[in-house]
Amino acid sequence: MTVTDRPELEGLGNYKFGWADSDVAGATARRGLSEEVVRNISALKNEPEWMLDLRLKGLRLFGKKPLPSWGSDLTGIDFDNIKYFVRSTEKQAASWDELPADIKNTYDKLGIPEAEKQRLIAGVAAQYESEVVYHKIREDLEEKGVIFLDTDTGLKEHPELFKEYFGSVIPVGDNKFASLNSAVWSGGSFIYVPPNVNVEIPLQAYFRINTENMGQFERTLIIVDEGSYVHYVEGCTAPIYSSDSLHSAVVEIIVKKNARCRYTTIQNWSNNVYNLVTKRAVAYEGATMEWIDGNIGSKVTMKYPAVYLMGEHAKGETLSVAFAGEGQHQDAGAKMVHLAPKTSSTIVSKSVARGGGRTSYRGLVQIEEGAAGSASTVKCDALLIDQISRSDTYPYVDVREDDVSMGHEATVSKVSDDQLFYLMSRGLNEDEAMAMIVRGFVEPIARELPMEYALELNRLIELQMEGAVG
Amino acid sequence: MGLDTKPLSTLHGKSSYDLEDFPVPTGREESWRFTPLSRLRGLHDGTAPVTGSVVVEVHPSPEVSVETVGRDDSRVGKAYVPADRVSVQAFTSFEKATVITVPKEAVTSEPTVVNLRGESAEGATYGHLVVVVEPLAQAVVVLDHRGSAVYADNVEFVVGDGASLRVVSLQDWAGDAVHVSHHHAQLAKDATFKSFVVTLGGDLVRLSPSVSYTGRGGDADLSGLYFADAGQHLEHRLLVDHSVPDCRSHVDYRGALQGDEAHAVWIGDVIIRVEATGTDTYELNRNLILTDGARADSVPNLEILTGEVAGAGHASASGRLDDEHTFYLQARGIPYEEARRLVVRGYFAQLIQKIEVEEIRDRVLAAVEAELAR
Repeated sequence: MTVTDRPELEGLGNYKFGWADSDVAGATARRGLSEEVVRNISALKNEPEWMLDLRLKGLRLFGKKPLPSWGSDLTGIDFDNIKYFVRSTEKQAASWDELPADIKNTYDKLGIPEAEKQRLIAGVAAQYESEVVYHKIREDLEEKGVIFLDTDTGLKEHPELFKEYFGSVIPVGDNKFASLNSAVWSGGSFIYVPPNVNVEIPLQAYFRINTENMGQFERTLIIVDEGSYVHYVEGCTAPIYSSDSLHSAVVEIIVKKNARCRYTTIQNWSNNVYNLVTKRAVAYEGATMEWIDGNIGSKVTMKYPAVYLMGEHAKGETLSVAFAGEGQHQDAGAKMVHLAPKTSSTIVSKSVARGGGRTSYRGLVQIEEGAAGSASTVKCDALLIDQISRSDTYPYVDVREDDVSMGHEATVSKVSDDQLFYLMSRGLNEDEAMAMIVRGFVEPIARELPMEYALELNRLIELQMEGAVG
Repeated sequence: MGLDTKPLSTLHGKSSYDLEDFPVPTGREESWRFTPLSRLRGLHDGTAPVTGSVVVEVHPSPEVSVETVGRDDSRVGKAYVPADRVSVQAFTSFEKATVITVPKEAVTSEPTVVNLRGESAEGATYGHLVVVVEPLAQAVVVLDHRGSAVYADNVEFVVGDGASLRVVSLQDWAGDAVHVSHHHAQLAKDATFKSFVVTLGGDLVRLSPSVSYTGRGGDADLSGLYFADAGQHLEHRLLVDHSVPDCRSHVDYRGALQGDEAHAVWIGDVIIRVEATGTDTYELNRNLILTDGARADSVPNLEILTGEVAGAGHASASGRLDDEHTFYLQARGIPYEEARRLVVRGYFAQLIQKIEVEEIRDRVLAAVEAELAR
């Protein structure tokens, strides 16, 4: 694997996706953010006037809002050095072979075309830099009226849905990074599932940053109509560079009456990516929203997938697993807002910190007046491998209704010598024993992942745990 | 100046003896966002006229010495550096401090009772109390707050090597009282500190108990019971700072709320620093919401900077009276009101048993009964 010839980076060799491909588009791309940059993006995409207005509003609000003072240290982000838009290929390909060789090569190495061929997935989107370069959905789903497009094409073909839903879950001014995303968004997935359609096999998106100092700002909008089901899976990787990139996505999901949506993320950015993402779903009467969130890579992640429970009997669930190794801070968690009676939510968070890494659980459970009969449970467990790592728990609970039940529990433990000794006396070496303990610890979440991702997670744990002992 | 200037932890703010270091809170700060500042009657912005009166009377156990000292006494402000605006306001404004000393190896024969009687809620009063328990001594101290007052104070508990201090602090104020207080315990090697906080009365009570350790083997047990009625704001903010290896802390706060706009806030912060290997800590908060319109905020935060911990955890639960419990009792012929009282009493009983002073235990039980009879 050709990472780079910089010797000081060799220590990072654990990361399997760290190669960089030739980068003509990226090298010439402009750095920094201005009104002109925003207008250019909009013009390149031939967008309607209202979208440009929304972008400009996002830009104004981005400038006004301060960096969050809580959470991770974000002062290292140099907004003037980021490339806000990089077009890697002129047109979207309908088959992998149409893609430029470099890009196809990347996805081959990631194994995406193979998975598609074997029909493990119902649709694929591949985003390279700012735009989706490959897109495909299975014909039978298309016939049933399932729309799976990149967001730019979605806006062109379904302007009425966009006018109604875009920015309705996460407003332009929601937070600094949502404003930034609104200003310069590009790519992402747009999914619409018509009523009573069950999409049995996951739809999948793969996000890749190749350029150094790239800013990737995809925007995903998912609408699951009444009684339908969809599972969307996304994976993310990037090359290892010595200076930082920024990934700041916005994901909006609308789960209508009695529908169910599951959104799985395996975030494995390289250790020079700031991953600052806003993800939120609204769940109406009887609907279920599930976030399955794996954070393994990145330098800093701040991500708190949210579910707003709007209708009676709506249900929200977040399963989250985070690994932080050397130099990493995973500030992840979940947010559940109960706005209707008899709603329920569950948050299960597991984190592992090693090698001086830091994991934080930060969550909010809010039960508003009127949400009588609601219930929420939060459970966070943290595992510490060594003395230099750090784990924090910042849960937040706001209950404004009396007829509810609310529980929060957290434990922090270290891998005990007894456990290691037990496994080693059965012939495992120390690394294997440690990896097995960690796998057991995250198992409740791993089993919720699609097969290939569960295997991937196990493999990543092994890589992460290599040399963790001693 | 402050002991802790580098932002090691987001839980541990700066501390300083200087009023200038703490701007007037606006209510947006993390540490003030739950507190209704308009009801503090000027304690937080320096506008409170210092014309109030809180009479401090100490009934010491015979082994104990009690002194009233001026601001310049070397024992004042030694264990605790103010960590917020009202605390520093109280520290820079009080005129006389009370110092209670339990001499080395003394075991007190009876509780030392400190009566604090507020005489009016017009005008503020600032106070300071230091309790020094010298090595190997054992003592019980009761702080009994009653009457009407606008009162801000700092209390320092200095527990020496191998010493043991049990404290009961009763906030049994009249309905118009405002009380903002910091209780700091500093534990030396093998010291034991058990505190029991009971907050029942007052319009607004904000009590911030904190613990620090200076030697291995320190053991802190912090319990609390609160009962918020209509319109009351009762806030407890705990901070346990583990900076020394092999210490223990255990926190158990339980509250009940009833009536419109009854508001209880519980913040439980624990820091385990890199050096504090072998720490054992657990925090628990429970809220029982008895009627509509009451609100409970419960935030347990945990920051752990080392992997070598003996155990660390917290739990928080808020909910209403379990219908099944009352149904069970009703099915046995106990009327609903009585059944409700029994369940609430059961909820607090385990905690109340921990109060070491019998008269106080009875008084708290009676107070809980009285609250339920409302």
